[in-house]
Amino acid sequence: MGNTDIIAAIATPPGRGGIGIVRISGKNLQQIAQVILGALPKKRHASLSKFRDETGLIIDQGVAIFYPSPHSYTGEDVLELQGHGGPAVMNMLLSCCLAAGARLAQPGEFTLRAFLNNKLDLAQAESVADVIDASTGEAVRCAMRSLQGEFSAVIHALTQALIDLRLVVEAALDFPEEETGYLQQADVYNKLKNIQAQLEQVFTSARQGSLLREGVHVVLVGSPNVGKSSLMNRLAREEVAIVTETPGTTRDAIRETIQIEGVPLHLIDTAGLRETGDEVEKIGIARAWAAIEKGGLVLLLTDSRLGRNAGDQEILDRLPVGVPLIRVFNKIDLLKEVPRIKEEKGKLEIYLSAKTGAGIELLRQQLLRIVGWRQHSTSEGLFMARRRHLWALAEAKKHLERAIILTEEKTQPELLAEELRLVQQTLSSITGEFSADDLLGEIFSRFCIGK
Amino acid sequence: MGFSEKFDVIVVGGGHAGTEAALAAARMGRKTLLLTHNIETLGQMSCNPSVGGIGKGHLVKEVDALGGVMATAADEAGIQFRILNASKGPAVRATRAQADRMLYRQAIRRHLENQPNLSLFQQAVDDLTLEDDRITGVVTQLGIKFSAHAVVLTVGTFLAGLAHVGPSSFQAGRAGDPSSVTLAHRLREMSLAVGRLKTGTPPRIDGRSIDYSAVQEQPGDNPVPVFSFLGRVVQHPQQLSCWITHTNERTHDIIRSGLDRSPLFVGTIEGVGPRYCPSIEDKVVRFSAKESHQVFLEPEGLNTHAIYPNGISTSLPFDMQVDLVRSIKGLKKAHITCPGYAIEYDYFDPRGLKNSLETKTIEGLFFAGQINGTTGYEEAAAQGLLAGINAGLKTQGRSAWCPRRDEAYLGVLVDDLITRGVTEPYRMFTSRAEYRLQLREDNADLRLTEAGRKLGVVDDARWSAFEAKRGAITSEQDRLKRIFLGPKEGSSSMPEADLVRVLGKPLERESSLHELLRRPDVNYADLMSLPGIGGAVLDAMVSEQVEIQAKYHGYIERQKIEVARNADYEEMYLPQNLDYQTVSGLSNEVQQKLNQHKPETVGQATRISGITPAAISLLLVHLKRGFIEQKKRKVHEPSNTAG
Repeated sequence: MGNTDIIAAIATPPGRGGIGIVRISGKNLQQIAQVILGALPKKRHASLSKFRDETGLIIDQGVAIFYPSPHSYTGEDVLELQGHGGPAVMNMLLSCCLAAGARLAQPGEFTLRAFLNNKLDLAQAESVADVIDASTGEAVRCAMRSLQGEFSAVIHALTQALIDLRLVVEAALDFPEEETGYLQQADVYNKLKNIQAQLEQVFTSARQGSLLREGVHVVLVGSPNVGKSSLMNRLAREEVAIVTETPGTTRDAIRETIQIEGVPLHLIDTAGLRETGDEVEKIGIARAWAAIEKGGLVLLLTDSRLGRNAGDQEILDRLPVGVPLIRVFNKIDLLKEVPRIKEEKGKLEIYLSAKTGAGIELLRQQLLRIVGWRQHSTSEGLFMARRRHLWALAEAKKHLERAIILTEEKTQPELLAEELRLVQQTLSSITGEFSADDLLGEIFSRFCIGK
Repeated sequence: MGFSEKFDVIVVGGGHAGTEAALAAARMGRKTLLLTHNIETLGQMSCNPSVGGIGKGHLVKEVDALGGVMATAADEAGIQFRILNASKGPAVRATRAQADRMLYRQAIRRHLENQPNLSLFQQAVDDLTLEDDRITGVVTQLGIKFSAHAVVLTVGTFLAGLAHVGPSSFQAGRAGDPSSVTLAHRLREMSLAVGRLKTGTPPRIDGRSIDYSAVQEQPGDNPVPVFSFLGRVVQHPQQLSCWITHTNERTHDIIRSGLDRSPLFVGTIEGVGPRYCPSIEDKVVRFSAKESHQVFLEPEGLNTHAIYPNGISTSLPFDMQVDLVRSIKGLKKAHITCPGYAIEYDYFDPRGLKNSLETKTIEGLFFAGQINGTTGYEEAAAQGLLAGINAGLKTQGRSAWCPRRDEAYLGVLVDDLITRGVTEPYRMFTSRAEYRLQLREDNADLRLTEAGRKLGVVDDARWSAFEAKRGAITSEQDRLKRIFLGPKEGSSSMPEADLVRVLGKPLERESSLHELLRRPDVNYADLMSLPGIGGAVLDAMVSEQVEIQAKYHGYIERQKIEVARNADYEEMYLPQNLDYQTVSGLSNEVQQKLNQHKPETVGQATRISGITPAAISLLLVHLKRGFIEQKKRKVHEPSNTAG
């Protein structure tokens, strides 16, 4: 009884713990395990595994435990991935599960499934409704908070713009004999571009909201002895908040989390993103790459006395195009220079001294600016989007991009209609509005249909 | 006065729903009786003389895939065939045929008379006989009693029908036919929720009075399409053109000047009309900025001069109908042969039906067609077919059948009706189907014929033709998946010039022909022109199917995942006696909605407006808890049937 599609969620409380768990439950987890672990682990054994994303990139290493049905929490096949507890790592891991075919669990859904599969006795069962009620309530309150004001208004406006467009596209499909020439007049392409720009904005703002909780990866690269550790220590020391080294691991690259104006930045120090035979370093580098590709930013550190050099250029060449980058020239104290910032053609350079602290403030502000944080006097206007919302927005973006390509190709309006339907479906999963009948209603009120 | 013979299934009504219902039950080998008030009007097209169109053509193909008669009758009676949306993708292409009314009636009549297990009888039905909440038969106007295990009511607009022309109104089923007043009263007593709807028709015109030089010709398609999967072009009678003209400002002025005598605007008509098929007075009022409306002049047949002016349905007084028609270009001297009218009729809230179209309150009683609040021949035929099948299944002691929303427009139609009800006459549109890309005309047989065979409505001839086609599709797909082409000259002997000609660019990596066919700009014929890859399949239906399935592959895979996610809910049945007020945690609004709808499955519940995922979770918990408690009781209670 109950749906048996695969659900996934982060099972540990948000925030930075030593260990975080992503729990996956459903029928037949073979495929997901295949993608992330390479194979389904031996049942009920804690196996040390690398966790990989769908492209094979290592994102973490941890313990995987497989509980086959019916001997599991939910009574279904359950896979638990225990990784490093940082929110960014957990998020990446969850994203991989979703990309591999799982769906984000509803509030209370694991408990619900446990109950439906006879894993809870009647006494426990009495409380299940309360659990669902409460967790739904919590989710609703959270959603309400994030749906208040600007965010809600923006999503609503986007949905409205989308409906305006969809009704033209749908009308052209369902009423080809009418003389309105809907599609020709509608200028679908520019309207889509417009919606895309708005969606992009919402996404950025929503991400800012999640930044508050989840933070951004900052990868430090550079040749040996240019002062990466001292810069890290300097940035960390300046802050009141957490300074922790990932516990118990020597295989990991050095990672610290600092907070700047409440935004957690996860610093990863690597030797320089180069090929290496060392297993430990490999994982660290792989993780740095993963962080970079998932929207992190890169600090390339150079010893001011050496200036630009071939080693740095090699690193630069290996960076993906479009990754946010700050070039930091350290040790200006040794050249008796003053801290400064230089921006040319979008290339940002900061001259500072990690040792004396001169110029650190410049770096802090630029870090914040690049991760998309703008100073807010209050948190008003800041979208406290939950993970679900971000996920939905990202999906919507994806389908919108397809829709734009299809519009350019001009050949298959029914596929354009499908992509737009999916955009709206994902958007309405945030607000919970709308049904197909409304769309027809809109068509009939807008156009004179019927022969 | 009882009729000596007993029937398995009685169908009341001989319109498009009734004939499909009776034929389906009879095809299943059930002893079936079709009761109609007039045998001469079996298969009558009472509104516009055409079959199909967007969404509707899809339904016709589905009826055909399940062995129904509508597509075949259209092939035998069609005097103009067109594929609408031909320039768009296959999912939204649809067949439409103008039909000769008389030929259509004759075709239907012939199929009915040649159908084994089916008897026809001419008598109006006045009453139903019940035993508790079970149907046992019907009573006719003359008091003749017919008994049966299942009864399908397909009485169209005849239930308490009231026709309007200007200020005058009269009781009628449709122009020239009596309405079923007694039956309507009887049904209103049966605690089924009743509503009132409206539909309308335009005045008919004598074609000899039309100036064709002033209107625009609209010929049929060439090559001429066919409707049925078994249809052939040679079945078609002589082909004719349709014509297009337009209303103008003067037409609109005439209409505006007479609104005070329009039953629609003075409030005489209380039924709700369809927004997608408004009367001309409605169009002029609601879209006053529009200077002109299209009018299609459709011939009603080969042996009649009657023309159906599609687009000016009206209930204005007759003198105004004359004026407004004659103000239209090409119709200056038009002679009206039959006035336009609006008709109001009873329908039953379809939320009172199971997805088998059996009423929830009376066992063995099925409703199909306009009685359920739909409009259109195709919607009626599709429901009739389903009701006939389920009446047949019921009398065979087999469980009910209804295709899912991802399997057929028929599934969408029924699910919409029973979960949302209607607020205006319900018509099919492709935008109602979330799985539109899967529900195409071209694959209606692949979606449904196998199910139809198991149900017993698909005969041997159709089945073997279908199996041959399906087999050919699979083997061609397998062949395309086996043949690989590579980027280097060595790995396949394909010259690069050929690849560039067909693909538009050189190959980047080794790909099967099937993968290449998925590319939007590669078509099957071009691909098959590559040297040395073997011969193409010759059957156009097969190659078309291979190509379409390849083109839509990604989208359909994604939709399948969406379907699979919700599949379990569709199989999860809800007890019909469940009082939703006892489900803790549900809001009052949700409790009320569920009590009102009494959904059959959790899947249906998810589609009722205002039902949230959390409400569904609570519902599941409630059901499960009830199950556990029941089980516990059974363990603890001593068994009464000792020994």
